[in-house]
Amino acid sequence: MLKKLAVFILLLVLFSFKLQAPLADYKVSTGTIAFKSDASLELIKAQSNELKGIFIAEKKQFAFIVIIKSFKGFNSPLQQEHFNENYLESNKYPSASFEGKIIEDIDLSADGTYAIRAKGNLSIHGVVQERIIKADITVKNGNISIKSNFTVLLADHNIPIPKVVHEKLASEIKVEIKADLVKK
Amino acid sequence: MPLLTRIAIFTLLTATVVQKGIAQNFFGYKSFALTEDNKPFKINTLYKNEEGFIYAGTTNGLYTFDGKYFSKINFLNPAVKDTVTAIFQDNKKQLWAGFKNGKIAKKINDRLQYFEPEEGTPKVAITAFVQDKQNNIWFATNGEGIYYFSNNHLYLINEEEGLSDKYVHALTLASNGDVLAATDQGINICTVSGAKKTVTVIGPKNGLPDYYITSIVPAGNNTFWVGMQEKGFCLYNHTTKKITIPPAATNWSFGQINTLLASANSLWIATQENGLFKLSEARQLLLPFFSGSTNKNNISNLLLDDEANIWMTTADELISNSGDKLTLLPLYDKATYETIHTILSDYQNNIWAGTDGGLIKYSFADNKTERKNFPIKGLTSKTDITGLYQDKYHNIWISTMGEGVFVLDPATGKYRNISENPLLKKASLLSITGSGNTVCAGGLEGVATIFELSDLNKTIAENYQFTNYNNIPNIGNNYIHTVYKDKAGGIWFGTDGKGITVLQNGQFVHYNKKNGLKDEHIYSFTEDEKGRIWFNTKDAGIYSFDGVKFKNYGAAQGISDLKITTLKTDRLGNIIIVNEKGIDILNPETGTVSYLNNVQGIAAINTAIQSITTDSSGNILLSTVNGIVKYCPIAKTNQQPKTIINSVQLFLQVINKEEQHNFKYDENGFTFNFTGLYYSNPAEVHYQYKLDGWDSSWIATKDQSIPFPNLRPGKYTFHVRSSLNENFNNASEATYSFTIYSPFWKRWWFIILSVIAGAGILIGYMKWREKSITKMQQLQQEKIQFQFEVLRNQVNPHFLFNSFNTLISAIEENPKAAVDYVEQLSEFFRNIVNYRDKDVITLGEEINLLKTYFYLQQKRYGDNLKLNINISEEEKKQLLIPPLTLQLLIENAIKHNAVSKETILTIDLLMQNGNRLIIRNNINPKFSPQSGTGMGLQNIINRYHILSAEAVVVNNDTNFFTVSLPALKQ
Repeated sequence: MLKKLAVFILLLVLFSFKLQAPLADYKVSTGTIAFKSDASLELIKAQSNELKGIFIAEKKQFAFIVIIKSFKGFNSPLQQEHFNENYLESNKYPSASFEGKIIEDIDLSADGTYAIRAKGNLSIHGVVQERIIKADITVKNGNISIKSNFTVLLADHNIPIPKVVHEKLASEIKVEIKADLVKK
Repeated sequence: MPLLTRIAIFTLLTATVVQKGIAQNFFGYKSFALTEDNKPFKINTLYKNEEGFIYAGTTNGLYTFDGKYFSKINFLNPAVKDTVTAIFQDNKKQLWAGFKNGKIAKKINDRLQYFEPEEGTPKVAITAFVQDKQNNIWFATNGEGIYYFSNNHLYLINEEEGLSDKYVHALTLASNGDVLAATDQGINICTVSGAKKTVTVIGPKNGLPDYYITSIVPAGNNTFWVGMQEKGFCLYNHTTKKITIPPAATNWSFGQINTLLASANSLWIATQENGLFKLSEARQLLLPFFSGSTNKNNISNLLLDDEANIWMTTADELISNSGDKLTLLPLYDKATYETIHTILSDYQNNIWAGTDGGLIKYSFADNKTERKNFPIKGLTSKTDITGLYQDKYHNIWISTMGEGVFVLDPATGKYRNISENPLLKKASLLSITGSGNTVCAGGLEGVATIFELSDLNKTIAENYQFTNYNNIPNIGNNYIHTVYKDKAGGIWFGTDGKGITVLQNGQFVHYNKKNGLKDEHIYSFTEDEKGRIWFNTKDAGIYSFDGVKFKNYGAAQGISDLKITTLKTDRLGNIIIVNEKGIDILNPETGTVSYLNNVQGIAAINTAIQSITTDSSGNILLSTVNGIVKYCPIAKTNQQPKTIINSVQLFLQVINKEEQHNFKYDENGFTFNFTGLYYSNPAEVHYQYKLDGWDSSWIATKDQSIPFPNLRPGKYTFHVRSSLNENFNNASEATYSFTIYSPFWKRWWFIILSVIAGAGILIGYMKWREKSITKMQQLQQEKIQFQFEVLRNQVNPHFLFNSFNTLISAIEENPKAAVDYVEQLSEFFRNIVNYRDKDVITLGEEINLLKTYFYLQQKRYGDNLKLNINISEEEKKQLLIPPLTLQLLIENAIKHNAVSKETILTIDLLMQNGNRLIIRNNINPKFSPQSGTGMGLQNIINRYHILSAEAVVVNNDTNFFTVSLPALKQ
């Protein structure tokens, strides 16, 4: 249900921007999102290559979405199961997303690398948090690539950490996003 | 309706004043420039921290300013010189700085460190900070909107939340917790509740005259002064959301307002092009400063220090003056001033001056000084007016020199001489004072009169009731400078040379030198809130009298000039002491004195006794060469320097003085940097310091940095206090306590541990020594016993008998062999004697001895006795053995075994594993076993027990008897 809603919102965003800004719309061609939980006893890492997203250059707005179940590369199948069932409840909240707008008054038409900040809403585990996220945007030959690192506090998104695994799960998860976008 | 008319007129007049260019000088201002290598820096922002210290944010970074010097606060990397555009101290006393490039830094241990939230910092200038009721830090930017930092996350309020403009110039906090932002597009009210952000815009629709808001400052009661770009200023009420435009701000024509400041009595308005304005308390009169000036027309950054001084910046200067404390009312030229003998502020705050040119009234209505002469018949330019007093019916009393007392009705201008009192006829009076129903006059030749007013005296035509005191005992016809009635009804007469006489309960009491008064010329009286009488003398300063004791205040107590004209109590209860150069303000409770004088711009003060007056609001007015100076005492301001320890350095590195108090023995080089913060006159601040634990008494200094390079371990408290004079009683004091620990080897626990360890070692040593002595004794005993055993064996008749028998047969058969035999025998005994006293000999020596013995025995047993020695030369040299050990073992073997052709006794001597010496013989028991003492073997075992950790092993199976000795190494 939520997954459908998220896709719907994404489509809506895509659609509405398409109407307003027919010139410079980008979509993710290859996108990866990786996270790392560096707790004192255990390092949990996983990544997904199924990051989807769009960027409307004229309005400096973008939206990214990833299906939680697409995360791979856990230490063990059991860990992946815990991740999906106990922590992120991916059946209930199938996707995570960020929609935002660049704060800086910046011209992205010329080639170059720009350090930007985007103000937007980060939705994980069904909890939407307003966030400002730093990113580097590289424009080259009409293509755009975006790189960003940020942290997610589990408590911000109502992701409970059972006492038993307290030392196995960091309260702060480091997330890294890399995406190449091409003109639609 | 009349009120409205008046307001309209004021506004009009204000405009006229400025158009005419009669700009007031900013009375007594001081200016400071901030330069480095003669290059000036622009001050972008001023801030006062919780201690009262002023910070300046400049194009060259962040500075503190102590009234004398600017000191830079560097980044850890001093090369960083970001332009500071906003400064703020949060409620945990953390100082923040915002920069033009959008970065933000915190001051940590006197150094700036960038604030680096995960979200990054803005890329446009930071313009303002505020802290909300949830302790979140907010900062406004010039182009990105407003950020706030909450729970380690940075949030942004911009157009998405409805912020009307992202260019924000000022922030302030409303009493309900809302943050109010001044933007290019109205006032934005920002409310954050959980994750919900709400913005409400107050703009022209709500009555705001202008879109462009430059400044918003609290005005009390949840109202705010709002400064605008074009339309002047207005008052915004956050409770009702209503805008009020004060009359003085209608038809504003002075251009952009940069910022506003609400002080105790005024609103100060800094403009971009027309200098500074002051809106008086009544909010009707707009007083311009620096208008028309070319370099001071652009004023920004208004700040009020804790002493009520006003600070501001121009393009290249920092400017201050006394703000609401001192106001100059320019009234007259110098010629008039020189003939003024007395001034009086009447109940309408008009000023009456008694001059050589007669009585003059100055009125100030409508922002215009009006002068009116009140000529009095009978008074010439040679008749001094010595005193003026307005009674409760507003009639003005005029005391004169030679013409008695006049009374004048200011409403009609009518006057009359008080001729009903014959004593005052042609009398020369020195002063006229009073309170309530009483008017007191004193003069030459002992003249003193008290008038008691009644309702009949509303009109001056009615005769006055009076009592004359012209024959006071002990005064006679001496001058009476002043007559004063205190609140309790006592009447005080101050004489010229005969001290004080007071009439209390119908009794005259005299006080003079006998009572401790150093000077008997008494000029004027006043009374403090506790009913103490204060008076000044000609040469000995002032006295207070509590009914029992006189207390003198002179130079040592901080009185700046003993040539005191007069004194008065101000509305805060302080004693105002007037001298020609200024006033001393004495706090009667603490005894501290502060000063207002030429440093604040006060020019020469008239020295006549009644050249000082109090207006209807309790302000003190002084007649000075430049006009009337009004001193307005402001409650809750610092009158004295505030002592602050700015920093504590350990070996010149600033430490965290709030948290670090304990130091190691070699952390002993301290420097204390302090300031007696007194912006009104920083050059006059004196310091005393004392390091408890080091100095025994206070040390006076003018330095603001005191080093203690080499402190011994101990407990210390550094005290520093500051004062405006040499009187440090009740001076503000700052302290820093710290402990330098002794080196660990001098600490109690280490000493105790050392003593215990020492005792342990001693006991251990004693035990070991005891043991080794016992061992030595044992060894000695064993040795003696062994020698005895050996000797006993060797002088055993059996051995001798056998030896001699062998010898006899040898002599017969082979005399040459006999000689050998005797030689060997003698060699054997010689060795026994030689080795007798030694604990050990080399194995080689023992084997040689053994060979001698064996030779002797072999002569008897022939080939039936065999000895195989399998010891290397090396081992013979290196190994040690108690003397005669092997000899004894072989002797035992021969003694206990049958030696015959059938039963050959073979003895093997060999090394085992390089660490055991083995002596082994085959067993052929004798039929009649020879009894032995058994002491020989036991003795060997005992001796080895002492000499070696390893034991002697004796093994006796049916075939072999083996003794294994530990090899003793050299």
